[in-house]
Amino acid sequence: MNIPLADDEIAYLCGRTGTMALVKTLGHFFYLETETEEISLFTDEDDLLVASTFEVGDAARRGLACTLYMIREMNSPLIVLPKGHPASRRLRTVVSVGDKTRIKCDIQAGTHPEQDVLCGTKEFEGVEVISMPGGAEVKKFAGEVLKEKLV
Amino acid sequence: MCTVGGGPDIGDVESLASKGYICQDCGNKFKGMGRRPRCPSCQSRNVKASE
Repeated sequence: MNIPLADDEIAYLCGRTGTMALVKTLGHFFYLETETEEISLFTDEDDLLVASTFEVGDAARRGLACTLYMIREMNSPLIVLPKGHPASRRLRTVVSVGDKTRIKCDIQAGTHPEQDVLCGTKEFEGVEVISMPGGAEVKKFAGEVLKEKLV
Repeated sequence: MCTVGGGPDIGDVESLASKGYICQDCGNKFKGMGRRPRCPSCQSRNVKASE
């Protein structure tokens, strides 16, 4: 399915066991902060920020919107934790940046640096989110899609 | 890239395909990844790979 997405909109893919959300990057760049260096992650106008959580409902959607708002609108840097850091298992949202995101459910959250892979719940296995001018193409998802203003 | 929450954990960050750049306008040196690099300091697209 194709999801038209305006610059100020957020779209939610609502599942029974999880929720995903997507916004355009608007060509912004984002900072990845490691222990030793700062890496700037550059994007194209039509690239997408995609977030996933293992929760559902209003609270899940608010959390995803806040996460994406902080990253895109507040230019919040992405803090890279060292492998095995205890904070990793406390965090409940995962984010992908780029022109394509594939959802896999058999990977451990935060342990794969491939740019196009994002962890999600089993029902999202195989879902692909691909950027396109004016929105996104979402493959292998037949659930409910909601949209609202992000800003 | 999979990141987690407000303090993302992207795991083996050393394997990320970042490149070094130098801005031809302001001289800023930075590391970046992505198709359209620009200087994070002065926003110029006039940058060159430095390594």
